[in-house]
Amino acid sequence: MHLDPFELHRPTTVEEAHRLYAERPAGADYLAGGTDLLPNYKMHLNLRPTLISLDRIPELARRDGARVGAMVRLGDLERDADFVGRYPGVARALREIATPLVRASATLGGNLLLETRCFFFNQSEFWRASLGYCLKADGDRCHVVPQKERCYATFSGDLAPALAVLDAEVELAGPGGRRTIPLLDLYDRAGDGIRRTHLRPGEILTSVLLPPAARERSATYSKLRVRPSFDFPELGVAVAARIVDGRATELRIALGGIETCPRRFDELTTPLEGAPLDGPRRRELAAAVQAAVRPVHNTFLPPDYRRRMVGVYVRRALTEVVGATAVP
Amino acid sequence: MVSPGPPPAYRLLGGRIPYVDGPLKVTGRAEYTDDLRRPGMLVGRLLRSPWAHARIRSVDLRAAREIPGVVAVLTGDKYPTPFGVLPITHDETAIAVERARYIGDIVAAVAAVDEATAERALAAIRFDVEPLREHSDPRVGVDPVTDPIHARGLRGSNVQKEVLQNFGDVDGAFAHAAHTVRVQGRFSGVTHAFTEPLVTIAEATPDGRLTVTSATQVPHYLHRALSEVLGIPMHRIRVVKPEVGGGFGGKSDPLPHEIACAALALETGRPVRMLLDREDVFYTNHGRHPTENDVRIAADRDGQLLAYDIRALIEGGAWSSFGTVTTYYNGVLAMGPYRVDNFRYHGRRVYTNRPPSGAMRAHGGTNLRYSIEVGLDELAERIGIDPFDLRVRNALAPNSTTVNQFRITSTSFLRCLEAVRRASEWDAVRPRLPYGEGIGLGCGFYISGSNSPIHFAPDIPQSTVHLKVDMDGGIAVHSMQADIGQGSNTLLAAIVAEVLGVDLERVHVQRVDSDVSPIDLGSYSSRVTFMMGNAARQAAERLRDTLVRAAAELLACSPGEVRVGHERFETSSPSERSVPFLDALHAAMRTEGALTASGAYRSPKMGGSYKGARAGTAPAYSFAAYVARAGVDPETGEVSVRKVWAAFDCGRPLNRLAVEGQIEGSIHMGLGQLLGESMNYRGARLMNPALLDYKILTPAQMPEVEVLLVGEDDPEGPFGAKEAGEGPLVATLPAVANAIYDAVGVRCYELPVTPDRLERGIARRRTEHRSWKGVG
Repeated sequence: MHLDPFELHRPTTVEEAHRLYAERPAGADYLAGGTDLLPNYKMHLNLRPTLISLDRIPELARRDGARVGAMVRLGDLERDADFVGRYPGVARALREIATPLVRASATLGGNLLLETRCFFFNQSEFWRASLGYCLKADGDRCHVVPQKERCYATFSGDLAPALAVLDAEVELAGPGGRRTIPLLDLYDRAGDGIRRTHLRPGEILTSVLLPPAARERSATYSKLRVRPSFDFPELGVAVAARIVDGRATELRIALGGIETCPRRFDELTTPLEGAPLDGPRRRELAAAVQAAVRPVHNTFLPPDYRRRMVGVYVRRALTEVVGATAVP
Repeated sequence: MVSPGPPPAYRLLGGRIPYVDGPLKVTGRAEYTDDLRRPGMLVGRLLRSPWAHARIRSVDLRAAREIPGVVAVLTGDKYPTPFGVLPITHDETAIAVERARYIGDIVAAVAAVDEATAERALAAIRFDVEPLREHSDPRVGVDPVTDPIHARGLRGSNVQKEVLQNFGDVDGAFAHAAHTVRVQGRFSGVTHAFTEPLVTIAEATPDGRLTVTSATQVPHYLHRALSEVLGIPMHRIRVVKPEVGGGFGGKSDPLPHEIACAALALETGRPVRMLLDREDVFYTNHGRHPTENDVRIAADRDGQLLAYDIRALIEGGAWSSFGTVTTYYNGVLAMGPYRVDNFRYHGRRVYTNRPPSGAMRAHGGTNLRYSIEVGLDELAERIGIDPFDLRVRNALAPNSTTVNQFRITSTSFLRCLEAVRRASEWDAVRPRLPYGEGIGLGCGFYISGSNSPIHFAPDIPQSTVHLKVDMDGGIAVHSMQADIGQGSNTLLAAIVAEVLGVDLERVHVQRVDSDVSPIDLGSYSSRVTFMMGNAARQAAERLRDTLVRAAAELLACSPGEVRVGHERFETSSPSERSVPFLDALHAAMRTEGALTASGAYRSPKMGGSYKGARAGTAPAYSFAAYVARAGVDPETGEVSVRKVWAAFDCGRPLNRLAVEGQIEGSIHMGLGQLLGESMNYRGARLMNPALLDYKILTPAQMPEVEVLLVGEDDPEGPFGAKEAGEGPLVATLPAVANAIYDAVGVRCYELPVTPDRLERGIARRRTEHRSWKGVG
C-alpha cells in the first residue's frame, strides 16, 4: 500500500502553523506522530492535500511538571520518572498503548485526538470500495447500524480516560486565541460521531494540564484486548479517587474504547462522594456503569461481551483504588 | 531382537549448529527477492475482484493503456490455461477467465513505470459483469446449487472432493463399546502470516529465456506451472529462489501472481517486479481450511480404543490447491499415535467464494488432532483414568502396520509420554492446582515427508543433491531444496561436512537456480531433512569414497584401511599416518579435474492398494507429547499460557538449535490458532485482511517452553533423523485446551478460544450448576 504524495510543511511556531492552515482552503491536517494518521492516509481515509507537521514547534514539546506539551512522545513520557511518579495511573495507560516502537513516535496530543475506529472504516480503499463506502469516509450510510445520520466508530485512545479521572485540562490554540477547557469537553458526545471534537478550524491542542489535586488521587487504568500488546482497547477503564480514612472522595470513573467518545460517569459517582465503598457498593456502581454504556459491533470482540466486561473491569479497578483501604 | 548397541556419535550432527546464513541475515545482508533490482525494471500491480462471484461479460482496457507510463495491461484471456499444485486438480488461473470467484480474485494485471502509474491504470479498467449467486456456506454447498463455483464440483454441487473410507467394523465396535465420546469441533480458517510478503521478479530476455525469481517454497512446482500456463518449455525457463522469509505452506503452491508477473515480463520484454501488500497476501491465502469436524471415539471399559468414526466438512474457498490431500489428511492422520483397528471417515471439501485455502504447517492434521486429543481427555475423565495412562495403553507399536496399512517404523511415543510426565511433574501438580489454573496433555503424530510425490513423473527421486569440489577445496552444494528459514541449508552443509570430515566453512550451499540445481521437491510435508538429508548423505559418501581411494594411494594402504579424520584422512596400519584433505583432493583430481558427486533419495514403496491408499503414507512419522500449564481468569475468560513442556520424537535431532527453534515456533503458531487467529468472514467478505485484526500471538503471550528431545534413531532417516517442522505444532492446541478445561471446567469446541467465548462457556457451566474444583 503506498502513500499518495502530499504537501508537507514544518512550521516552527503555532502562529505559523495557523497561517499555513488558513492559506489552504483545500484542506490540511496537522501531523503529530503520524502513527494513526499516516496508516489512515495509506488507506485513503479522508485524505487532505497538505500536512502541517507540528514536530518543529518547541512549545509543543515542553514538559514542565503538571503541564505536558502535546507533541511529547509517549515513549519519552513513560520514561520520565518524575511524571510516572506523580501520575502512576496515566503511566499505566501509557505502557498499554500499541508497542514500544509505536510509542517512540506517537504523541500525547495524537493519542487524545486519535481517529475513531471501526472495522468497516479502517480498511483499504479496495476493501471499502468493494463493499460500498461508509458515512465516515466517502459514503452515506453506516454498515454497523444501518442509517444515514450517525457514525458509531469507537474512540480508541488510552490516555483520555486516564487523564479524565484526574480532571486534566487541555490548552487549545486557535487563530483567534487560546483557551483552556476540561479534557472531556474537547469531545463532542452529542455530535454525529464524524465530527468528534469541539476543536475549531485550525485549532491546535498545545498541552495537557494536570491540576494539583491529581497528585493526591489514587488512580488506575486497565485495558481489555485480545493481545497484551499492539491492540487498541476493546475497553479502557480508568478510576481515580482520593482516599481519606478509608472513604473515597473525588471518585471518578472514565471509559474509553467503548463508545464514540471517552466518557466519565459523574452522575453515578457524585452521589457516592464520601460514602464507604464496600464490596456490594462497588459491585452496584460497576453494574450501573455497565448499564449505561452502549457498545456496538465494530471492534474485534462482540459488544455484549465488552459490555459485561465493563462491569468486571470497573469493579476490579474500584477495588484496586479504594478496596485496600475501604471500610470492611 | 539383537540390541543395536549405543548410537554412533557424530562430530557436527546432533550438536547445536548456528545457521550458515545467520550472519548475513542478522546483519541485513542476506538477499531476498525484493532486494534485487534489474535495469529498466517495471512495477507490476494486480487488480482484484470486488465481486464475490460474477461472470465477466467484457472489459475495457483502452483508458488504462493510454495512461503515459503504462507498458502492459493483461486480463485472463491471454493465458487462460488452468494450473494447480496437484496434477489432478488444475482449476486456478493466473488472472480470472470469464468469471471472478472471490473478493480479491485477480482480474487484471498492469506493468508500469512506477507504482502510482500502475495504480492509476488499475483504476481506469472498466468491467461489465453479471453478478452470480454468492456461495459462502459449505453446508449449503454440499448439495446441488445454482451457479456452482466450478463445473468440476460433484453432481452440480460445490463439493470439490469427497473421501469415504471404512476399515474394520466401526458400527460393531460402537455397539459393543463401554464408552464413547464425541467432539464436534469448529475451526476458523487461519493463514500463514509469514514475515516476507509474496514477491516475484520476472524477466524475459532476447535469448528467448524467461527468468523468474520468487519467494517460493517449491521452485520446481513453480517452474512446472510457469511452463504449462505460459506455453514455454521448462528448459527455457529459469527459476531462482533467493532467501525466503518464512513460508509455512503459503509459498508451496505455484501462485497466480507469480505467473501474472511472468506474463507481464513476456508482454513487455522488460523486468517486472511484483511485491504484494499484506492485504494481497491475505487474499492469496492458501492457508488452513475453515473446518467443522465430528469425531466419535469408542473404547472398552479399560480405555482400549476400539474405533474412530470421523466426519469433516472442509471449506476450500475458490480453488482446489492442495485440497484433495487436505480432504484425505483430515481423516487418515488419525491413524497415529494410537492403534485403532476400526476406522471410518467421511470427508468433504467444498468450494466457496472466499480466498482459497491450501496447505499450512501441519496441514490436515491440526484440526483433526485437536478434536481427537480433546476427545481422549473427555474419555479419560469418563473412564476415570489418568490421561497419560490412556495414551500409554493405546500407543502404536514400533514396526507395525495400521488398519489402513500405514507402515510404522520407529516410534518413541512412549518415551515422549514418560519424559513429559516427569518434566512437568504432572502427577504431583495436577491434583494441587486451584480453580482458574490448569494442566493438560495433548499428543501429536505427523508425516515425515509425503511418500507420494506431487509429480507428473512420480518415479524420479524426490530429492537429488550435487556436489562439486575443485582445487580450492571448497565444496559447492546444489539442490532445489528450499531453505525458507528453517535451516535446511545449514543441515545440507553439515551433512556434507560430517561425511567428509571437513569444517563447515568449506561447504557452500548454492542459491536455488533451476539451471544448475537438481530437482528436490522443496519445502513441504516435512520432507526436507529426511529426503534431502538422505540424498546429501549419499552424494557426500560417493565423494568421500573417491577421496578415500586417492588417500589410500598416498598412504600406500588399501581404501578399507582409511578413516575419515578431521580435515584429513588417516590410517592406522601399518603405523599411524595421515594426509590432509587438500592433498587427497588434489591427488583425486589428477585424472579428471574438479570432482563431482550426486546423491538421490526415493522413498520405498508402501501403503495399501485401495483408492487413496497413498494419502498419509510416509517413510517415517514424528510423535509428540506436550503438557501445558494455563491460567484462566474465570470472570473475563482471558487465558495465560504459563509453560509448555514439549517432548518430541524427531528421531535423532541433527541440529538441536534448529529443532528447538522449530518447536518453539510451532508452539507460537499453534497458540495463535488456539487463542486468536481467525480469518473472519461476513458472508464472502474477509473482515480482517490486516495484521492488526488478525491476531497473531505476540511475544508477550509466549510461554516458557521446555523442549525434550527423546527420539531414538529412525532406521531409514539420515543419521537416524525424522521431521521436526510440522509435527511440533499439532499437540500444542489440545494440550492448552485440556489445561483450560482443567482450570475452569469448560471444553473449548470452537477455535479460536477468544475470551468472550470462554467467558460464555464458564457462564453456561455456572447456569447449569456444574461446579468445578469446588467453585459453582
